Amino acid sequence: MKNFEFLFTAWMVVWAVFFVYEISVARRIAQTREEIERLKQQLQQR
Amino acid sequence: MTTARAAAIILAKELRLEFRTRELLTATVIFALVVVVLFSFAFDPTAAESRRYGSGLLWIAFLFAGSLMLNPSFAREQNNETLDALRMAPISSFAILLGKILANFIFMSLAELVLVPVFAVLYNISLAGIVWRLILVLMLGTLGLTVTGTVFSAISAHARMRELLLPLLLLPLLTPLLIAAVESTASLFAEQPALDRTWLAFLTGFDIVFLTASWLLCDHLLEE
Amino acid sequence: MKARIAITALVALLIFCAGYAALFIAPDEATMHAIQRIFYFHVASWNAMFCAFFVAFYASVAYLVTGNRKWDALGVSGVEVGVICCTIGLITGPLWARPVWGIWWTWDAKLTSTFILWLLFIGYLLLRGLVEDPEKKASLSAVFAIFASLDIPLVYLANRLWRTQHPQPVIAGGQGSGLDPTMSKVLLLCLFAIFCVMILALIDRYRLELLRNEAAELKFEIESRELDAADGAANPALQKGGL
Repeated sequence: MKNFEFLFTAWMVVWAVFFVYEISVARRIAQTREEIERLKQQLQQR
Repeated sequence: MTTARAAAIILAKELRLEFRTRELLTATVIFALVVVVLFSFAFDPTAAESRRYGSGLLWIAFLFAGSLMLNPSFAREQNNETLDALRMAPISSFAILLGKILANFIFMSLAELVLVPVFAVLYNISLAGIVWRLILVLMLGTLGLTVTGTVFSAISAHARMRELLLPLLLLPLLTPLLIAAVESTASLFAEQPALDRTWLAFLTGFDIVFLTASWLLCDHLLEE
Repeated sequence: MKARIAITALVALLIFCAGYAALFIAPDEATMHAIQRIFYFHVASWNAMFCAFFVAFYASVAYLVTGNRKWDALGVSGVEVGVICCTIGLITGPLWARPVWGIWWTWDAKLTSTFILWLLFIGYLLLRGLVEDPEKKASLSAVFAIFASLDIPLVYLANRLWRTQHPQPVIAGGQGSGLDPTMSKVLLLCLFAIFCVMILALIDRYRLELLRNEAAELKFEIESRELDAADGAANPALQKGGL
């Protein structure tokens, strides 16, 4: 296939970008969930 | 009190405020001149090029100078929280916004009144026979600039780095206006000056769209 | 949780099929050959971008009308995901242009307009970052999003009236338009696949924003209770069945 490198790079870019974004969102969700648990416990103690 | 009357009062206040010191106007004119001169160093304009690129340069100078000039519109109100006082008055938010839009329109137009002849001299472009049509294009373009710019001034007044934020938000939004204004002006500066109907209609449409949007959304702009 | 895993797996499968179709099933194009296959992802990401920005526009209006913060959460999600799709489009564009036209970038109508869109909505994200108060952040960015969305057709119209070098629209308009039927099917598959990925990202981002809002509310609750406690300690009258 002619110009395969460009095609492949494009393909990779599409998935890499979405993939990285999804991972970052998932990680932040987990972090925020932990934070919420922590804050809820703090609230209980009052 | 009707919106028109309230807007007129706000307009009068803004004008009085500015004409006391005239610092904003002066700074705007000087800055636009600086841009014009800088361009002459960056690109060396011969007569033919002046006609082609002149209109672009003119409007870029206006846009840059305008973005700086529009900031104080609402930023000034932050200092003594005078915006709260305005809001408590029995006038609609649109009156406040409209008054400021009109004030900025007048300031910008005054600046242009000085700049266009200077520009014509510096770049050797004859204004004979196109003055009224040029004024029409300038007015339509300036209206779009001031409507959107005043709204964004209200928005960025609440943000940090507002001097940087305002042009950053405004300039991409105004690219259609820039294109239309530049093309209209260019066709007036050409060998056979002509008024480009399509771009004029576009400019008018642009102004109507954003004036309407400002009217519909003004309450959310100025609320506490 | 299980539903989520199932859906993700399904979408992953969809992506795989779409990719396979784009790379191997679709027929080779006459002039550009293999590189033309970028077209399937390139167009699909534009489509996803417009959908995301439309969601943001709708959510912004809904927020201003109802005042419900959930709409604001949806708005920022729409813009963020839209910017992601826009970035993908702006990267795949030059990757296509370079082998075909020999240049990485060209200031033609479509590409320029989309670049401006990217700048506009990045501005939205910057605005949100620079406003502290959550209520103001929500309403001001909603107003901006509406202005930006209204600008979208104007940007495209202005650029189109002004100049064009892009391949003329293949599907809608002009002579020589119309796609080979297999190509159309592959395109639809890719459109659908990337659309689904976009929706997934949108939903996740929305959930994140809702969780953030919840965390912020809890923090606020804790802080105000601390303040009340401090007041109570300073003034015992407030504690004993006073206020």
